[in-house]
Amino acid sequence: MFRLVSYVLKGIWRHRARTMLTVSGAAVAMFVFCFVGSVQEGLERLTSDEDAQRTLIVFQENRFCPTSSRLPEDYARRISEIPGVKDVMPVQVWTNNCRASLDIVVFNGAPPKQLQTARNLKLTSGSWSEFESRRDAAIVGRNVATRRNLKTGDQFSIGDLDVQVVGIFSSHVPAEENLIYTGLEFLQYTRGLDSAGLVTQHEVHLTGNADPDEIASSIDEALRAGPVATTTRRKGAFQTSTLSDLVDLIGFAHYLGYACVGLVLGLVATTTVMAVQDRIKEHAVLQTIGVRPARVFRIVIAESLILCLAGGFTGTLAALTILTWGGLAIGAEGVTIAFRPSIHLAMVGLLVSAVVGILAGIIPATQAARTPIVTALRQP
Amino acid sequence: MALVEIRNLSKSFSKGGEVIFPLKDVDLDIEQGDFVSLMGPSGTGKSTLLNLISGIDKPDQGTIVVDGVEVTKLSRGKLADWRAANLGYIFQTHNLIPVLTAYENVELPTLLLPLTSAERRRRVELALEAVGLSDRADHYPRQMSGGQEQRVGIARAIVAHPKVVVADEPTGSLDVKTSDQIQILLQRLNRELDITLVMVTHDSEVSQIASRQMVLDDGKILERDSNHSNGTSSSQHVQLTGGQ
Repeated sequence: MFRLVSYVLKGIWRHRARTMLTVSGAAVAMFVFCFVGSVQEGLERLTSDEDAQRTLIVFQENRFCPTSSRLPEDYARRISEIPGVKDVMPVQVWTNNCRASLDIVVFNGAPPKQLQTARNLKLTSGSWSEFESRRDAAIVGRNVATRRNLKTGDQFSIGDLDVQVVGIFSSHVPAEENLIYTGLEFLQYTRGLDSAGLVTQHEVHLTGNADPDEIASSIDEALRAGPVATTTRRKGAFQTSTLSDLVDLIGFAHYLGYACVGLVLGLVATTTVMAVQDRIKEHAVLQTIGVRPARVFRIVIAESLILCLAGGFTGTLAALTILTWGGLAIGAEGVTIAFRPSIHLAMVGLLVSAVVGILAGIIPATQAARTPIVTALRQP
Repeated sequence: MALVEIRNLSKSFSKGGEVIFPLKDVDLDIEQGDFVSLMGPSGTGKSTLLNLISGIDKPDQGTIVVDGVEVTKLSRGKLADWRAANLGYIFQTHNLIPVLTAYENVELPTLLLPLTSAERRRRVELALEAVGLSDRADHYPRQMSGGQEQRVGIARAIVAHPKVVVADEPTGSLDVKTSDQIQILLQRLNRELDITLVMVTHDSEVSQIASRQMVLDDGKILERDSNHSNGTSSSQHVQLTGGQ
């Protein structure tokens, strides 16, 4: 097989225009496939990682957008008295857009000390001390900083908010990198929010052996007599519910991914069939010289595989590059899904390309290997 | 024992609802070093016989044994292996691989054999030298004349040191001058390298370069006597086969 590699590569190179068009088509399709995969991975991470399962979100009952949830800050004290609760962090949320958007900006206001212990944020520039000491200080997630071209020392204004960027952070939770954190009071006293003594939600961290669902019920029961009724859910369930419209859309996008795979399959199969029909006589000559039919089959499969892998590699690489450097995210109602590259995505992209390449080559390869030699030699 | 032994070979085709038999119970022996030409009108089965000897077509009945191997019993895959090691094929239209250079075209059959790269290179260089194309090794088919292409085709046919070389109208698509050069080359290969050649041609002049001249007619194979080769007699035919 490998002795005929030169022949295979030269055969592909011979039809450069056709090869380039096929590879380009496959690359675009695999680019879309990887992007869809990235959104799905982002949603999966958001709703099923340990943090999403072991953290509870207390929100105002029957409210969805963060601007409409107004819970007393004092609820934190009452929640922390419930057995199994380790820590409660009041969070004020502000977003520039409650609807689904690709450029959503979400501020979370929380006590700076608590923020450092509750979230695993790593400052890549700036300092925690300045964040704690300055009232309008903000630390900005890496993705938002990339998207909005922000760096430490910049002034950032949006709507009625005007903050000083004192740090850029990264996090092992990709969605965190789409947030901007400020002190709690800063957001509570922001013009337009008028939320002194109120917060959007309480984030509840549990002790090691506590049952999240049981404690969620206890919290809602304990606060039933309070001025505002609550709904408490696991963070993952809360985010899924908040993003329900997007979740449906992302579920539908799944089919777009399959369509892309089908597109590559059809494209490469068509190209390979055309290439084989053009060279039906050439393959017969090879067999007359002594090339086994099985080897002719493998030659055609190799051509199809190379085309598909070249397109798949290009598309996957382009998608991963944009996902790495683009800082892209989609969000709604204060919750964001990060588009992030991953080794898994790269492997899936290449594996799908390889499988599609082999599948696309099977019919033309069979045709090349099984056409009677004498019939093929009579072709003009 | 002959190098090629053909016994009771028959082949039929369906054409327009009618079954025709270009070959009927053909018997033929070809000795090592023979240069056999097969002549006959169109449709008499010359190329069919060549294809059957090459193992690229299957007979309806009969056997072909080449150097002790009954090729008519081999599977498609085994036949390919057998051809790689034992048979060279010269096409009328050269049929070189257009994306490969002359060197790479000639090298192709050697890639199918268990040879070292040094031995492969040596054989390819010798084959190109034998056909007088050493200086065109890196030329692509589109950069060569029809005659040069055919010489590359001949080098490709002999490079694996086959037991038999078959040639299907090797001068059929060439002008007179180039055709003469190819005829001389084939004669040289037969005489100097002792290559056994079976050549199909419809040109009686070309057929005279062969040491044995056969005529296929009505499913039978006839051999002209040796005097015919000097052009003094054109009517004396000897039937070799039992067939009809």
